[in-house]
Amino acid sequence: MFSSGRERNLRGCGLLLADAGGARCPPCAVGMGEFKVHRVRFFNYVPSGIRCVAYNNQSNRLAVSRTDGTVEIYNLSANYFQEKFFPGHESRATEALCWAKGQRLFSGGLNGEIIEYDLQALNIKYAMDAFGGPIWSMAVSPCGSQLLVGCEDGSVKLFQITPDKIQFERNFDRQKRSAVHKMLVDRQYMGVSKRKCIIWGVAFLSDGTVISVDSAGKVQFWDSATGTLVKNHLIANADVQSIAVSDQEDSFVVGTAEGTVFHFQLVSVTSNSSEKQWVRTKPFQHHTHDVRAVAHSPTALISGGTDTHLVIRPLMEKVEVKNYDAALRKITFPHRRLISCSKKRHLLLFQFAHHLELWRLGSTVATGKNGDTLPLSKDADHLLHLKTKGPENIICSCISPCGSWIAYSTTSRFFLYRLNYEHDNISLQRVSKMPAFLRSALQILFSEDSTKLFVASNQGSLHIIRLLEGSFKHLHTFQPQSGTVESMCLLAVSPDGNWLAASGTSAGVHVYNIKHLKLHCTVPAYNFPVTALAIAPSTNNLVIAHSDQQVFEYSIPDKQYTEWSRTIQKQGFHYLWLQRDTPITHISFHPKRPMHILLHDAYMFCIIDKSLPLPNDKTLLYNPLPPTNESDVIRRRTAHAFKISKIYKPLLFMDLLDERTLVAVERPLDDIIAQLPPPIKKKKFGT
Amino acid sequence: MVQLRPRASRVPPSAMVDEGQPASEEEEEAEHGLLLGQPSSGAAAEPLEEDDEEGDDEFDDEAPEELTFASAQAEAREEERRVRESVRRDKTLLKEKRKRREELFIEQKKRKLLPDNILEKLTAAGQTNIKKSSGKLKEANLQKENEDCDKGSDSKKAKVQKVQSVGQNKSYLALRLKDQDLRDSRQQAAKAFIQNSLYGPGTNRTTVNKFLSLENKRLPVKKAAAQFLNNAWGTQKKQNAKRYKRDLFPS
Repeated sequence: MFSSGRERNLRGCGLLLADAGGARCPPCAVGMGEFKVHRVRFFNYVPSGIRCVAYNNQSNRLAVSRTDGTVEIYNLSANYFQEKFFPGHESRATEALCWAKGQRLFSGGLNGEIIEYDLQALNIKYAMDAFGGPIWSMAVSPCGSQLLVGCEDGSVKLFQITPDKIQFERNFDRQKRSAVHKMLVDRQYMGVSKRKCIIWGVAFLSDGTVISVDSAGKVQFWDSATGTLVKNHLIANADVQSIAVSDQEDSFVVGTAEGTVFHFQLVSVTSNSSEKQWVRTKPFQHHTHDVRAVAHSPTALISGGTDTHLVIRPLMEKVEVKNYDAALRKITFPHRRLISCSKKRHLLLFQFAHHLELWRLGSTVATGKNGDTLPLSKDADHLLHLKTKGPENIICSCISPCGSWIAYSTTSRFFLYRLNYEHDNISLQRVSKMPAFLRSALQILFSEDSTKLFVASNQGSLHIIRLLEGSFKHLHTFQPQSGTVESMCLLAVSPDGNWLAASGTSAGVHVYNIKHLKLHCTVPAYNFPVTALAIAPSTNNLVIAHSDQQVFEYSIPDKQYTEWSRTIQKQGFHYLWLQRDTPITHISFHPKRPMHILLHDAYMFCIIDKSLPLPNDKTLLYNPLPPTNESDVIRRRTAHAFKISKIYKPLLFMDLLDERTLVAVERPLDDIIAQLPPPIKKKKFGT
Repeated sequence: MVQLRPRASRVPPSAMVDEGQPASEEEEEAEHGLLLGQPSSGAAAEPLEEDDEEGDDEFDDEAPEELTFASAQAEAREEERRVRESVRRDKTLLKEKRKRREELFIEQKKRKLLPDNILEKLTAAGQTNIKKSSGKLKEANLQKENEDCDKGSDSKKAKVQKVQSVGQNKSYLALRLKDQDLRDSRQQAAKAFIQNSLYGPGTNRTTVNKFLSLENKRLPVKKAAAQFLNNAWGTQKKQNAKRYKRDLFPS
């Protein structure tokens, strides 16, 4: 709800439904004028389940691999932001993921290959076949220079990690176990007799204890010296699927198929004795489906599974400062934009893993007052279903503002299509012979007049292509600037076509002059990665949102921060604003109101009015609309610049189509859960 | 008086059958012997038919023509020979056709193969395992079955892989199709194992609908299931209805 200090008469806003679900919407008063909102729920986005999780202590980063082969890197110190990802591949069925010395990431999968990921070039360095069949488990030696791989044929292979690659060293057969004791072997699937119990995970402690978790719901402690069972804990009715031990080896975490995560700790038997034993201390139920991967950082338990959430649970006894940072974090929605919009033709392009969908929004001729649901005179239309060839996932996609061009990129190819509209029909024509340097693009953007295409490649360079009728011409390539790659590149272009901004390196956000094809300036570096970037229409102010919820405004012509930006940096953002846990993924502007900035994250959208006073920590941030019988004086007193609405959530995309129309793409969580694999049956009394 | 035609130029009895005249027994006996040799006498037969009506009676009185065993045997042998000839001709024709097809296939296969010099280099490479990935050729053409079986078996034992560039063009390697199939089948088997152990028989799984509806069942006021409506029901009927409506009321 908003409160407006400026307009005495709050004009209403009508709500327009653009899906066949017929959901009712509560009233929304924007207070800046009339807005019709297209509420879109037909984006059938279902993320892939999480398969493996690996935590790196030195850099506090988390590597997550999903069932479609995607590997994502989360920076836990940068507010749990997903800074990098490697697109998936159909043949890659990753079963194990681990970090080695020097920030090197390795994965092993059922196709028998060990893959090393290049975190600077954001591509796959190489894939080496281990020649042992499908790889089930992988572990790194404590010193970090050796890699152990457990294969289907029963052998454990040892690889030496050299600066460039890995080199095969030895092969351990099933009998030779002595050398294996020195390493921590993660997981091996072994079929044990008796009711076909599968051991899903094994952990090896340095004092010789072996902990195994199996499909009968048991956590068993074995003594490796004598080979006997020491303790047996039956903790679940379903499989216990994952186990992770902390570095100090005094606690470990297991995940079950019912979605429960159990924490085991080594505690002394009585308060002053030195004898310790393993005790199950805390259960956590944050998942609905199988928890297939767990990790243990020094201060938190991390779990992920088939229900696609990534849950990070800080342990209260390990956290030093008990502030908001110690709260539960659940990452469900993507941290990047998967939707692009053509404002002129009211088209939305949805990006899936292997195809793109083009939809035209519905329209209405009805009008109404604030809070009405307007009936559609024309339904939303599914115009195009574009499937990609090959096993690779789509990395990024974009549609031009005029709606005549669609571009998308996979790891090995770049596709550009020209669309022709005749009355109600649409025809597609592919532009062939795209240059090879455009592949593996991280971000694609069209200019406002749809004559130029900007592509940020994973090598760090920026390409500018001029689009002609049915063909293209390569204009210029900006070479990568100095600085290491910190996150995936984001692009923004000014509506007048003069400026291009690119983020992603440690040097800061670079601004290029397109007319003269040279670097114009660089915004000073900030220690948190950029989550959204946009350039305002007439003022050419660059608005940058970072993962710690800071928003900066930088004037490109003046090459300095704007006055408003300095003011808000001096005062600081409201504490509730800084405690939001999803990043801002899109920023846009009103064509006629230069003082307004529209931005949104997964659970709210906000219009920042720069002409109004800023809130301090004492004012109410989410101030609802005061009742109309209150005087205007009170309304003016409580008004502040941040007008936040939480009506539409979870939001995947929100943008201004024209002066009077907004589009909001929502994805209710229930719709995602409805398409997940079957969970374990839970018997409840009375059902 | 009408001059009768001499009997020697009598037409063959087969021509008279078409006119509907009853074929006498003598004529039928002679048919068999005369059929083989006289296809063209039909045209000449017509004008003489009326004359022959009168001659039928005389034919009935005569004895049937004598066919010696030798002549019949000769005719039979003649027929057999002709049949054999035709069969042999067919066989040779077929053989030729097959031969030409074989050659065509070999030609096509040769065209699909890589040029000879590259093949020589590959076979000469020896113990090392060479993988292929080309930027120029399409992926389908890349994978070609390696004729050298030794290399295949060695590649399985070789632990250290050396990527050797073939020729001056370092952009491609060679893969064995059989290895890829084996790898795929093992990967499929592994995936099937996981799927079976997690979701196969013996696991206690339920549908998402039932899972989400558990809460609804335990509320003091019971609610319907989470996915009570089946939106996928009757999609074809709904589409037809929409099309029908569109045709009736074009807007």
